[in-house]
Amino acid sequence: MNVSAEALYVEPTLRSARRPLAGHIARSLLLILLAGYTAFSAGPFLWLASMSLRTTSEISANHYALPSILHWEKFPAAWFGSSYGTYFLNSLEVVVAAVIVLTLIGAMAAFAFARYRFRMNRVLYFVIFSTIIFPPQITIISLFQVLVDYGLFNSLVGLTLVYIAFQLPLTVYILESFFARVPQDLFDAARMDGYSDGAIFWRVMLPIGLPAIATTVILNFILLWNEFLYAVVLIADDAKRTLPLGIQKFMGDQLEDIGMISTGMMISVIPVVILYVFFSEKLIQGMTAGAVK
Amino acid sequence: MKRAGAREDAGLRTPWLALSGFLLPALVMYAAFTAYPVARTFWNAFHKVLPNGNETWVGFANLRAILNNDPTFWKAVGNTLAWALVSPVLEVSLGLLLALALYARIPFARFFRIAWFTPVLISYVVVGILWMWIYNYDWGVANELLRLVGLDAWTRPWLGNPATALPALIFVTTWMWTGFNMVVLLAALSSLPSEVLEAAELDNCGWGRKLWFVIVPLVRPTILNLIVLSFIGKMKIFDLVWITTHGGPLWSTETVSTYVYKRAFDWSTFDLGYPSAIAAIWFVFVLAGVLILTSLLRSRERLEF
Amino acid sequence: MIRSPVRTLAASVAVSLLALVTSASAVAQTKLTLWSHWADQDSKVAFVTDAVKRFEAKHPGVKVEITWYQKPQLYAALKTALRAHQAPDIFYAENDQTEYIDNGFLYDLSKDLNWSAIEPWAKQAWTFGKGTYGFPLEAWTVELYYNRDLMNKIGVTLPENGELSQAAFLDMVKKAKAAGITPIVQGVGDRPYPGAFLVHEPLLRKLGKADYMKLLKGELSWKDPRVIETLNYVKQIVDAGALPKAYTSIKMGEAHYYFHTNPGGLTFPMGSFYPSRAFNAPDKGGEPPNFPLGLMSFPAMDGGKCNNCKTLAAGGSFVVNAASKNPKLAVALLNEMATPEMGARWVKETLVQTGIKTDMSAIKGEHADYFKRLADASRGIDYFVGLPSQILQGQPKEVFAQVMNTAFPAGLLSVKDATDQMEAAMKAASK
Repeated sequence: MNVSAEALYVEPTLRSARRPLAGHIARSLLLILLAGYTAFSAGPFLWLASMSLRTTSEISANHYALPSILHWEKFPAAWFGSSYGTYFLNSLEVVVAAVIVLTLIGAMAAFAFARYRFRMNRVLYFVIFSTIIFPPQITIISLFQVLVDYGLFNSLVGLTLVYIAFQLPLTVYILESFFARVPQDLFDAARMDGYSDGAIFWRVMLPIGLPAIATTVILNFILLWNEFLYAVVLIADDAKRTLPLGIQKFMGDQLEDIGMISTGMMISVIPVVILYVFFSEKLIQGMTAGAVK
Repeated sequence: MKRAGAREDAGLRTPWLALSGFLLPALVMYAAFTAYPVARTFWNAFHKVLPNGNETWVGFANLRAILNNDPTFWKAVGNTLAWALVSPVLEVSLGLLLALALYARIPFARFFRIAWFTPVLISYVVVGILWMWIYNYDWGVANELLRLVGLDAWTRPWLGNPATALPALIFVTTWMWTGFNMVVLLAALSSLPSEVLEAAELDNCGWGRKLWFVIVPLVRPTILNLIVLSFIGKMKIFDLVWITTHGGPLWSTETVSTYVYKRAFDWSTFDLGYPSAIAAIWFVFVLAGVLILTSLLRSRERLEF
Repeated sequence: MIRSPVRTLAASVAVSLLALVTSASAVAQTKLTLWSHWADQDSKVAFVTDAVKRFEAKHPGVKVEITWYQKPQLYAALKTALRAHQAPDIFYAENDQTEYIDNGFLYDLSKDLNWSAIEPWAKQAWTFGKGTYGFPLEAWTVELYYNRDLMNKIGVTLPENGELSQAAFLDMVKKAKAAGITPIVQGVGDRPYPGAFLVHEPLLRKLGKADYMKLLKGELSWKDPRVIETLNYVKQIVDAGALPKAYTSIKMGEAHYYFHTNPGGLTFPMGSFYPSRAFNAPDKGGEPPNFPLGLMSFPAMDGGKCNNCKTLAAGGSFVVNAASKNPKLAVALLNEMATPEMGARWVKETLVQTGIKTDMSAIKGEHADYFKRLADASRGIDYFVGLPSQILQGQPKEVFAQVMNTAFPAGLLSVKDATDQMEAAMKAASK
């Protein structure tokens, strides 16, 4: 359901129409409170952005000043000198591969659940969906054992496979509820044109389902980009670390190089920010999809 | 919105070949990386699992040791439950208030919405590090602000004191998730039929009464969903604790997930059976918790109508 | 139209998965892998790297790949890598990690290592059952460093042997606090043992070696009156505000920096590996030039049985992976370091003691002054080998780290609570 900005506005209440001054004061007070909350909410992130452009000695001198010189060179320094480039690329490899495969098989499964009638339909759907509530601890130890048994421990491939399985329930859930709402006539028409089931999937379902698919792609990307627990258990080599692990590694170093850590953190946050800036509506809709009845 | 009769009209025969083609990859992934590991964890729970395939059956010994002889486990359970029960209350009520504030026609609503949603997108690792710096005793924002307003006596090492460490972390997760709840509730509020709200206006309802008797019941399903989501999320929490306090000091922020990790990968024995038993017990706890919570919250809804 | 994107999609997925798999396969050549702690301790990095270079020169066709870590990350990586059979050939370990031995992960060095060059007590520290499993390169004592200028500033003069009485020591702490100087610098943010120096050194001195060992083995109660007396004294020091406020989160490297550079402290209980970080260049975390470093002693306990006792610990050691494909080569690499010349070199360059037999008096060089102080501080000392974290195991070790290392010195527990918890843990473990 599309929620445009205009729909958020309600007509002015009759009460305040009767007492305009009180209404004005109340509104200004509210604005101040909200502005305060916004500073609270977005503040840490802006502080991070500011620190990522200052050197550690500048920060130690005054932790909260704005950058006097914009040290853009810190970014390449972090990328090449402090291996953030490696970690970024590892994260990119794993997350992109996982999201591609995940979207594909998730869409196929969602299509099957949404548009076909068969006996085990609801049972299987519930089984997959219910794993959303599983705490990761129930699988982390045995996944470690499983990956070791298959020689996939400490490999980006192994991590990718785990990530695919990890996000499958949510993907299937979001896509299934969208796919099921598509009017049947479209499929009937396609069938009458002689399309096979596979063709219906590729040529009818996917194009129509693109908004929901886009949402799950963005959602999965962000959730997997930030994923930490599985990565920390299943990756041991420094060269294979994903970004969250890479950042954690620098926190472990003896003398906290706040400037460099900030720059590294910005590097990890930037892709998410870009996605958010361009797709905020989609993203918000997607994330709220499960929560709004 | 009901499905447009999808499955009922699907066809005269169930095309098993195509169906299995669509379902199989997902089911295979599920079986290999979810179902089997869960089963194996339960299997581990009844064994002592040492390296090099050395596994011995111990029956209920692990479970007994955990429930009777492990103060750290109970401390972790206590912390995690406290988190999972307090957070939803804070996050959802604050989210509701903010959503109502935005709903009451504030300029820049869209900007606010975007700003308040941001914390959710940042990785827990980044959030953890930022807040460790914010809570830093000497130069962190928290203490600096206190010193600024002259409340020097209130400054303390927030994450270093067992009494304040967990509340400090709960504050962080509230900071993260309130914005999310706000956005969801806003969407729910906007989908309310405006006639009802206008009717309440004309009846000269007080602001508080309007809130409680009209608006809240209408968005109850969404509120319940958010509470359950928040509960589940806090029962699983790991990243934030691991980065900031590692479960300390004195186990005051030890959660079940950090304890499981420590026993499995950080402990001086290599036994995976014991932590698997903890995970199995916790799994049952979480399922039970979700069931209890949803039935508790839902039943009241049914009574209303 | 829709088909070709699908094909290219499938192809790209296949290709990327293939690339991931093939990139993981190693290139063939005899390669030894070594994982070690000390990533930020330049002198030790130089020592090991140099030994490796000489080894490679003697063994053409063998390449050694060293990865430097910080200790917590190293331990975490090893725990999973060992189980997954992906651990390196040689790695850093300490002799409290008996779990490696219990699970058969370590290669027995008793036949192949050059033991004639190693101190007997160091060999003993790594001997478990019938085998000896580690090469004790580093050894260290628990020292109390101090800033001579600041000590003069608060008007305290230390006697010749650097040892104050209990009362005088407490007085020193109070004087420093009054002058706005942090009396005792310490940080337990990333280590489970340095905070406990303030607890176990006085305990050792009060109880004497035999009873102290009994205490750690669970044969003497933590409620023993002498133990309570000692802990009451430590509580007085803690309550006088001796430690920094952020004690529980300051990391080891940060604690060094706190002591010698900013904001500066009066004393710093630390292992004698202090120079490994402190003698780095200032911009790499080292002392400022001409820092007035002094060495003193822990306070002499009233009625103490062994006031000239000090803890000596086997420190960073190297072990060989039992699953290594080239164990003999690995030991050969270790033997490159296990010679008297390398021992002397270790001491001279890192300024830390070693388990290798070394003539300490023959050490000359850049830091001769520091050495003289260390030698003076070591005169007439009776050594107790082993830290509590090396003697305690399992739950008591964990409780000791939380209680005696972190909470009690942080002033978060009373003596009664602390000893209750230790007693309970020791009793539970002995069941």
